[in-house]
Amino acid sequence: MLVDTAVTIGRLLRSATTGYVFGCSVPEPDVPRFGDFVKAPAQRGRTNVIGLIYNIVIEDDAFVRQMVATPDLDEAYILDQRLNRQVPIEVSVLSIGYYDGLGNGSSAGTIACGLPPQPPVTLDSIRPCTQREVIECTGSFEYLRLVLNAPDAPADELIAVSLRSAAAMRPPEDRLFFLRGAGRELARLLSRDLPRLENLLRRIKP
Amino acid sequence: MHPLSELDDFFAKVPPRPRLGLVVGGSLSQGVLVKLDPGQVPGGVIEDMAVGRYVVVEGKTGKKFFSIVTDIALDSTNPDLAKSPPDPDDAFLADVYSSSLAFGALKIAPMLLLEHEASEPKPVKTVPAHFSLAYPATEADVNQVFGPEDAQHWHIGSPLDMEQVKVNLDLKRFVERSSGVFGKSGTGKSFITRTILAGIVKADSAVNLIFDMHNDYGWAVKDEHGREFKGLRQLFDNGRVQVITLDPETSRHRNSKTDGLLRIGLEQIEPEDVEMLAGIIGLTEVQVGALYYLRRKLGPDWIVRLLDEEDTAAIQELEAEEKVQKGTLRAMQRKFEMFRPDRLGFLSLRPPPDDMVEYIFHALNRGTNIVLEFGVYGNSLAAYVLVANYLTRRIHEKYVDMKNRAAGRRGEEPRPLVITIEEAHKFLDPDIAGHTIFGNIARELRKYNVTLLIVDQRPSGIDEEVMSQIGTRITCLLDNEADIKAVFSGVSGAGQLREVLARLDTQQQALILGHAVPMPVVIKTRDYGPDLYAAIGFLDEPAAREKRKAAKSALYGDDD
Repeated sequence: MLVDTAVTIGRLLRSATTGYVFGCSVPEPDVPRFGDFVKAPAQRGRTNVIGLIYNIVIEDDAFVRQMVATPDLDEAYILDQRLNRQVPIEVSVLSIGYYDGLGNGSSAGTIACGLPPQPPVTLDSIRPCTQREVIECTGSFEYLRLVLNAPDAPADELIAVSLRSAAAMRPPEDRLFFLRGAGRELARLLSRDLPRLENLLRRIKP
Repeated sequence: MHPLSELDDFFAKVPPRPRLGLVVGGSLSQGVLVKLDPGQVPGGVIEDMAVGRYVVVEGKTGKKFFSIVTDIALDSTNPDLAKSPPDPDDAFLADVYSSSLAFGALKIAPMLLLEHEASEPKPVKTVPAHFSLAYPATEADVNQVFGPEDAQHWHIGSPLDMEQVKVNLDLKRFVERSSGVFGKSGTGKSFITRTILAGIVKADSAVNLIFDMHNDYGWAVKDEHGREFKGLRQLFDNGRVQVITLDPETSRHRNSKTDGLLRIGLEQIEPEDVEMLAGIIGLTEVQVGALYYLRRKLGPDWIVRLLDEEDTAAIQELEAEEKVQKGTLRAMQRKFEMFRPDRLGFLSLRPPPDDMVEYIFHALNRGTNIVLEFGVYGNSLAAYVLVANYLTRRIHEKYVDMKNRAAGRRGEEPRPLVITIEEAHKFLDPDIAGHTIFGNIARELRKYNVTLLIVDQRPSGIDEEVMSQIGTRITCLLDNEADIKAVFSGVSGAGQLREVLARLDTQQQALILGHAVPMPVVIKTRDYGPDLYAAIGFLDEPAAREKRKAAKSALYGDDD
């Protein structure tokens, strides 16, 4: 079984090999955020599926509809509605990697880029990735191809934000090297689309 | 057993070979394409490259393809990049682009195959597989190709940026066929030629007859900076090189030691000797035809009688016969003015007492190299062509005779002879090369043990058939397209080397290709100076004095 002490930020609503959606109540200021690296247990805890948050949807419900139309709404009602929502906030995650060859203990495995063998199951707890996991997961840039090919995700934005946060988790002296490598990989992947590439590079440049 | 790291510490780690890039396409005939790695500094690898450098491609089966860089190009994975390049002020973008989308590319010509267990490189008959890795050739690779310097392999220079590596000319093969030294004026042809000649003399691989038009080879010569360099006669002061002069006065003024004086009697000159001058002195086809008629009618002193202004009876008689038009004879008389001994001092009305042809022939057969110094007559192309043609025809004739005798086991084989001529296009012009002695020598290869070393700045002026017979071509900078084309005529796959040739430095660089080197090579030519003198065994005066003293001491013991 994976043992992870990271705080749970939500629970899984639905999933597929390519990604999953988890629900949470009112977001904290820091989690979950667009472009964050998160993980969900899979294969009965033998692995973790690592993904990138690419969409956060706050849906309305019947109460909200009524309250929106209410004049002079009390601040206490607003706060209550937010904390005790009937409909969870839905966070969409794009799968980009998973722990490979893991027998026990999350820290012992290596992270493989690509789609996981199985998706996580419902109500599994979702946790943010640790710094080590982010660094390892972005050690190779294979995940960029998955993001670029994701049909629903805003790929360019997601790549820019994830790369900048992955760079920020590295020691300052490694950041330029990391971003330069990412830029080269993007240039390889987007060699036929120069305007898009230039836009992306401008977004990630230190 | 030691762990690997300990062994590495003990023996010192072998630094990994810096990779240049990988093979991405090409062909044997057009050259192999190598996509260059970006390197530490993007673009750094390409800027450190140069045409003519060596590259080794490690094939997928362990074979090493020893290749020469023939072209360098900038390329990109997207042609639109040229239309919308990154902002050069944006260092990040520029860096990413120039290490990914934009890249350098090499065109290399595989020349030799180095196999693990083979002692000698083999000619290349295929190309390395896709994505084989390319590396700059190491000194060990180059040494494996060019072999060590020995009695028959003469150090002539070093590959570009490999000053420790010696490129050696196989002198035995060099003298087997006619060879050429080409290059624009002032590119160092004479220095390279002198270096090669010194090697041939030292190795005794052939004996030389050098028609020294500009007094470059026999005695001391100065370069454009005023530095003085020793001539062959000074370097080989044991009698192995003799200088024969046409102009003793100039030789004296130059303090040049000479061993003989060449005089040619007008009666010794045959129509064949004059025929080659047709283009230079402006003889028409009819006038050339008349040469033989005049010789037949007027006898051996035909030129003397043609020039005689006092006794014109013989000429009038010829005119009366009307075999030759009156105007033709008069025009020939005017053109023959150059044969007057007061204009060309080495000519005399009567045959000189010494038969210098015989002297030179015997000297050559004894192994004595002859430098024919022209002095002021070097400025007269007509004089140069006349003398070179006059001597070569006669000496070649003797060689043919001697060789035939040797074939019939009635005499010894003549020593291999290399005849060095300058301004070779005047001797090997397409109009005359077919029927002159120099054209014959070039074409007949080593049949009679005589080959040419032609030194020329206009190879395009040399007959194509003759050029195709040139075994080894040493070419300094040429920028005329026709000349470059001529140098590569008859060399398979040489088209790829055109760029290499056109990019040579103006001095001390040459492209050598052909019979005497295993593959085309661009060299920085060896300095002609004290190191070369020492390699020949020449001792300067203090060293020679020391040697004499030591020898004396060994013989008679110390004085004190």
